[in-house]
Amino acid sequence: MFEVQEINAEHKDLIHDVAYDFYGQRMATCSSDQYVKVWDQNNDGKWSLSSSWKAHSGSVWKVTWAHPEFGQVLATCSFDRTAAVWEEIVGENPGPGERGTRYWVRRTNLVDSRTSVTDVKFGPKTQGLILATCSADGIIRIYEAPDVMNLSQWTLQHEVQCKPSCSCLSWNPSFSKIHPPMLAVGCDDTSAATGGKVFIYEFSENSRRWTKIETISSITEPVHDLAFSPNLGRSYHVLAIATKDVRILNLTPVNDNNSIQSGITKLDVQTAAQFEDHLSTVWRVCWNITGTILASSGDDGYVRMFKMNYINSWKSVAALKAGLPTPPISQTARYIKLGAISQPREVPWH
Amino acid sequence: MEELPPTYVILNDLCRRAGISAVCRPVNEFGVFACQSKKCYHGDKKSSFAPADASVFNVRQDVILFQPILRKLVNEANGTFLSVQAFVSSNEPDKAELLQLSLQYRSIIRACLENLQDEIMRTKGAEREELQNFVTVFYSVECIWHLCEILFIDSPAGNIVLPHLLEWIRFHFPKYERKAANLLSGELISLESHPDYWETVIGSLLQGRIEVVRALLRLHSSSSTDAFKLADQSLKALPLYSIYAGVSITEFNLRWKHWLIDTQAKIDAKMFVTERNVDLIMRLVVGEETAWSEVQHQCEAWYELLAAWLLYTEPAIKSFELGQFAKRCISRMGVRDHMKHLDRVLLAAMEMDILQVIKEIQHLTENGWFVTHLTDLLYHAGRLDTLDEEQPGDLLAGRLRESFLLDYGTLLMGHNSLWQVGLTYLDNCPTDGLNTIELLLPRIQLKSWQVGLTYLDNCPTDGLNTIELLLPRIQLKSEARIQKIIREAEAGKRDLLQVVQSICKVQGVISLKRGRLGNALTWALKSQDPNFTSFLADKYLREYSAKGELINTDLLDNLGSCMLASDKLIFLGKYCEFHKIYQSGDYKEAAALLVSLISSRITPSYFWVTLLTDAIPLLECDKMVLSSSDTFTLLHFLEEKSTLPELSDKIDLIRLALARNLGRALTYEAQIVQ
Repeated sequence: MFEVQEINAEHKDLIHDVAYDFYGQRMATCSSDQYVKVWDQNNDGKWSLSSSWKAHSGSVWKVTWAHPEFGQVLATCSFDRTAAVWEEIVGENPGPGERGTRYWVRRTNLVDSRTSVTDVKFGPKTQGLILATCSADGIIRIYEAPDVMNLSQWTLQHEVQCKPSCSCLSWNPSFSKIHPPMLAVGCDDTSAATGGKVFIYEFSENSRRWTKIETISSITEPVHDLAFSPNLGRSYHVLAIATKDVRILNLTPVNDNNSIQSGITKLDVQTAAQFEDHLSTVWRVCWNITGTILASSGDDGYVRMFKMNYINSWKSVAALKAGLPTPPISQTARYIKLGAISQPREVPWH
Repeated sequence: MEELPPTYVILNDLCRRAGISAVCRPVNEFGVFACQSKKCYHGDKKSSFAPADASVFNVRQDVILFQPILRKLVNEANGTFLSVQAFVSSNEPDKAELLQLSLQYRSIIRACLENLQDEIMRTKGAEREELQNFVTVFYSVECIWHLCEILFIDSPAGNIVLPHLLEWIRFHFPKYERKAANLLSGELISLESHPDYWETVIGSLLQGRIEVVRALLRLHSSSSTDAFKLADQSLKALPLYSIYAGVSITEFNLRWKHWLIDTQAKIDAKMFVTERNVDLIMRLVVGEETAWSEVQHQCEAWYELLAAWLLYTEPAIKSFELGQFAKRCISRMGVRDHMKHLDRVLLAAMEMDILQVIKEIQHLTENGWFVTHLTDLLYHAGRLDTLDEEQPGDLLAGRLRESFLLDYGTLLMGHNSLWQVGLTYLDNCPTDGLNTIELLLPRIQLKSWQVGLTYLDNCPTDGLNTIELLLPRIQLKSEARIQKIIREAEAGKRDLLQVVQSICKVQGVISLKRGRLGNALTWALKSQDPNFTSFLADKYLREYSAKGELINTDLLDNLGSCMLASDKLIFLGKYCEFHKIYQSGDYKEAAALLVSLISSRITPSYFWVTLLTDAIPLLECDKMVLSSSDTFTLLHFLEEKSTLPELSDKIDLIRLALARNLGRALTYEAQIVQ
């Protein structure tokens, strides 16, 4: 069974992205109404609006939190061709308790792109404070704040020309030091003739450059989202891709003589699963924290959840859809039980 | 065809029209919102839904284990779980001990059921219904666990399971026992006139309570008739198998066959026909089909009939033969087409299909409590080894167990106060445990602090992956809670140094943002982050040069070896020491320290003015404290820094003081030489 708690996000148009902070206690939302809002959950579980500001002069596509080690920091990207980094400031007059007056200031505006910035993601914290953006003209940019105590200084470290219309990117969150920094980028270019739509880049410590190490040729349909699974010390990486279906790929680094000599990792790409449950375009994929459940959202109006069992095979375990409300639900801290259709059983996870 | 996954409905019109999208929320939730993906090259217009009332929905699993009434079950089962782990790590798996632990688990369930029953008495309405639901769930859990214990953990000598099966049935169908007790404790004269009399006699007979049957028959008013006497004798002579009786199976079978022939002969001789019910009883005990058809409606479930039927037809049944008899009973009762979930699990167990049992019990709505603990126990009892035999090298059994532990542990990690319990399960995941903890632990919201720190020593070194992932997620709301998480991270063999450092760093940053420099520095030192420490030391020094006041001196005075974290901090520490010595009036010592600070070249450029100004009172001191060579050193650095703009209005003053002291020192030193 599932239960649900509603938070009225007070945006004037559809929400494009929701991001929870590291603890899941704060929530940032962004929308076509050009606003970004930050919500806090109090000890009783009730959510309240903490800040709301007009962040861009176009639709805000994505919002993402930096690791709390760097403070309360958000990054956003927008149709207005910019990406921005925001920091929350606790005001001079802290009120009673821990909460003072708080507001968000724009620490930097990254204006290098000449087209809509489609995705923005902070890199793994082991790399310091770095930020990757990708834009509709197909350029990936890596920015770095060399002094993490001063967020107004960002330098454009790398500019990598990928294929046009990049739609999404994902950092490989591997803990392992033997894996160099890795990025996956997807393109939503509709022409199948241009070949593979997912590209894997790796940062080489020797040449200090980002190099494309793999093009996933099996995916030629437009890609709308992709996400690396949190790596629990596995030797291979797991990448979920939202395209015309849900794809889960295993990327295994191959340590042959060639790759050792060139210093460029070679990947063995295996499709671990392919789900056509949505029967339509898939827009979004998202892992839970431990990487045991994958949630995908598709044009069929469903969110579907997949889980891997002990013999490493993936299975669809639950689905969510929307229906007409009976009475309007008031905004409370309470969770309301969700009605189930098809079978009133608990989700069999295996 | 594979069964479809269950679908849940979010009641929201905007979501229905636009479609929904989901993002993950730490730890175990999802955020769902109305979303229509649009392409940036379509231009940036308002969507067709604007103005819209967009909501975000936090969706989470409905976890009954978080109900306060089931808290005891979770905590006590955790204790037993840890005993199991401790036991198997120190000993060779021993059946008797594992059986004991299994019994412990079951008594926890029974205690929980009792609790629930008590609570039901006190509540009304929807709440009561919910509690009744829990009772049904945990009743099934107990029933299945008991059977699994008999078949897979106890596995009695010679696989003779019937005595255990009867015990199981008696526990779960106590109706006749209660009725018999009522009859025997009530009015004993003409007991047979009681409407329940014969039903109770037969019911007791079906559960193998021969003594009760005989006692009831003796109280019948015509018990002195031949039919009754003969029946009593026969029942008394009925051989019942018991491992403690010291009778071998073959011998028992022989005795039983003899008794059967003997009793059958009496029935054939129509010795009981005068009493219809006594005749029925005797025909039942020899297993006559027609007699059984007559009484089987008295059985509530097919497995009740199964035990009874086996007692009088196959008393020496082996556990691996149960399956076929179970199927026969099911068709006899005509329930094959409406088997409930519980029936299916029990049948699977009787067919010795452990994997099927495990698969089915996941459908029970107790959030994996049952399947996790039972699978763990079966694993340690070696009952899952068959999995490994099928695919050697894959260690499937271990992975199956671990996958449940991971899920259950992660589930508990999502709870405010049960997260420590969750940790102990993750600790016992040999491959992914530590990483998961590392992910989750720092994310725990720290709101209250009750769970005791006890069982930390049984974590395998390489089982830490999951821990690593989870530990950082614990949210830090109070200092005490943070300390606890840090202790958990350092505990045992987990040694999650990175997690500890990261948590401390986060705390440092938060303190800094709130303007609490002292706190921030304490955390920074714990996080062993030299850059952050330098940054904070720098802040102190700037604050001092701006305001002329050192804050948190008690902290700075006691830095000790922590000072070595960064150059700036060494400087700050030493400078504080200088102040302290100066204030205590030991000017000679203070002057020496100042000179060494100045000549150490770790002074930040903005601090030179302060440092050189500090020299003035020492130079002008009544007693001479700076030698000529010290003064030369100072003079040298003063000239080197003379271009600093902020020094311009003080430089003359300092030069004068230096010159005067130099004069004084040279004169004095000359006298000494003489």
